[in-house]
Amino acid sequence: MVPSYMQGSTRRVGIMTDVHRRFLQLLMTHGVLEEWDVKRLQKHCYKVHDCNATVEKLEDFINNINSVLESLYIEIKKGVTEDDGRPIYALVNLATTSVSKMASDFAENELDLFRKALELIIDSETGFASSTNILNLVDQLKGKKMRKKEAEQVLQKFVQHKWLVEKEGEFTLHCRAILEMEQYIRETHPDAVKVCDLCHGLLIQGQSCETCGIKMHLPCVAKYFQSNSEPRCPHCNDYWPHEIPEVFDPEKEREAGISKSNKKPLRSRQH
Amino acid sequence: MSEQSKDVCDPNFTAEPSNSEVYGSPGVPGGPSPPASQAATLAGPESPPLGPTDASLALPPSQAPSEEGDPKALQQAAEEGRAHQAPSAAQPSPTPPAPAQLVQKAHELMWYVLVKDQKRMIIWFPDMVKDVIGSYKKWCRSILRRTSLILARVFGLHLRLTSLHTMEFSLVKALEPEELDRVALSNRMPMTGLLLMILSLIYVKGRGARESAVWNVLRILGLRPWKKHSTFGDVRKLITEEFVQQNYLKYQRVPHVEPPEYEFFWGSRASREITKMQIMEFLARVFKKDPQAWPSRYREALEEARALREADPTAHCPRSSVSED
Repeated sequence: MVPSYMQGSTRRVGIMTDVHRRFLQLLMTHGVLEEWDVKRLQKHCYKVHDCNATVEKLEDFINNINSVLESLYIEIKKGVTEDDGRPIYALVNLATTSVSKMASDFAENELDLFRKALELIIDSETGFASSTNILNLVDQLKGKKMRKKEAEQVLQKFVQHKWLVEKEGEFTLHCRAILEMEQYIRETHPDAVKVCDLCHGLLIQGQSCETCGIKMHLPCVAKYFQSNSEPRCPHCNDYWPHEIPEVFDPEKEREAGISKSNKKPLRSRQH
Repeated sequence: MSEQSKDVCDPNFTAEPSNSEVYGSPGVPGGPSPPASQAATLAGPESPPLGPTDASLALPPSQAPSEEGDPKALQQAAEEGRAHQAPSAAQPSPTPPAPAQLVQKAHELMWYVLVKDQKRMIIWFPDMVKDVIGSYKKWCRSILRRTSLILARVFGLHLRLTSLHTMEFSLVKALEPEELDRVALSNRMPMTGLLLMILSLIYVKGRGARESAVWNVLRILGLRPWKKHSTFGDVRKLITEEFVQQNYLKYQRVPHVEPPEYEFFWGSRASREITKMQIMEFLARVFKKDPQAWPSRYREALEEARALREADPTAHCPRSSVSED
């Protein structure tokens, strides 16, 4: 079975081989993966099914798969984590909103809790909603009455399912949820939602200009102001008052990861 | 294509199964189905819907679970059920939906099954009908068939009816070689590691593992029953409730012991999905020993592997059921 992505072929749609099928299986199993995991995954799939073929460039590999997935209304989407700019990939469903997809796995009051948390997160300045503030809304939930103790566990369930992420008692959206739900969020909260001035993508966490109020993602800031000693707001030209983060460097990250994993072999990575 | 969701998304997202109404609304086309679409070309001639596939059919419990899986067995079940039941009161037969809508339903079902499998939840036929198929119940068989074809062709997965009795489906890999893909990434799914740890403890002991023994082992991983973990959350709840619900573990009270103590056993799903050889390989990896360091267990694993090969020599050649060019 030879993969053929023939240039100039009349078929616009790529061809699925076992390499791609296994890749999709594993990507689906893991939910969301970082770029270097995705590359290793790709190499693994080639090794298993087609050792002699040259491993295709990841971008082309994914575009080919996506051309097949297009008619199924799903897609391998690439995104970037808001806090440290790691490139991530997830298989997402475009046809339905992820929220209605969740509908079959969660009770009515649980879904409503998520919606309330989502609103708090979107409205917040930092992109985080405190556990206390979320739990204070349990009385307003639709459906069966939920106690605060129960709500705490439901929030943990959302964390386990990679919809929310918890940091020191505060919750924000998991990068996977942002990838899957961006469209839904923009449509259902058109006024409250924030957008990055640089990439125009949905913004939950970021930095803002204190003069004109525009916001930017941390990784967008990092890239825009890279090696700029006098960062200025792209909109109003006032001095950018925040610390400029580092651009994500996959090489540095991998070395750090290797030395970490030597110490703790059974530790699983976050994400 | 980004316009799709405008039609189907319910901004208030109530949890009621109003999904079926939203998706089934007649005015909504299935979206642009480009002629080159893989899924559409798999359609083939539309066979007439056959018999009620109502989930509430009382199937005779003595039915042996069919391992052929897929909608064919389900159709047989439906027909058998129909034979045992008087035909339901005359319902006006609704106009058949446009093929595009059936295709859309098949896509929704495909995603539903993939997500259920990802979350290690049971894929239950009545849930499929309630959550996805809804008012298209009558065309369930063709929807299921199309979904199976797509899953096989695009993902290399078999949607298999694993138990006719409980009407459970599962997604089985149809690619060879069958291997633990978990080894592809060193940061393997944490849940799997945790589960395998407990299963291998039970296996090595050769009988049920007391809860105290399990916690001794988990302590090595830094897990305690009272401490919340950043990845696992409430570990105790996970292993005594969730893994049990998913049929990976059994959690039972030890008889005749006071004060009450509990022990863990392998669940039916673990027995189905995980081989003893996989456990031996896991042990070898974790303890950096040769699997033969547990000689009697290794022997058992070898015997099981041989028995599996003899029982199903076609297990490694499932390609025959996948439609390939």
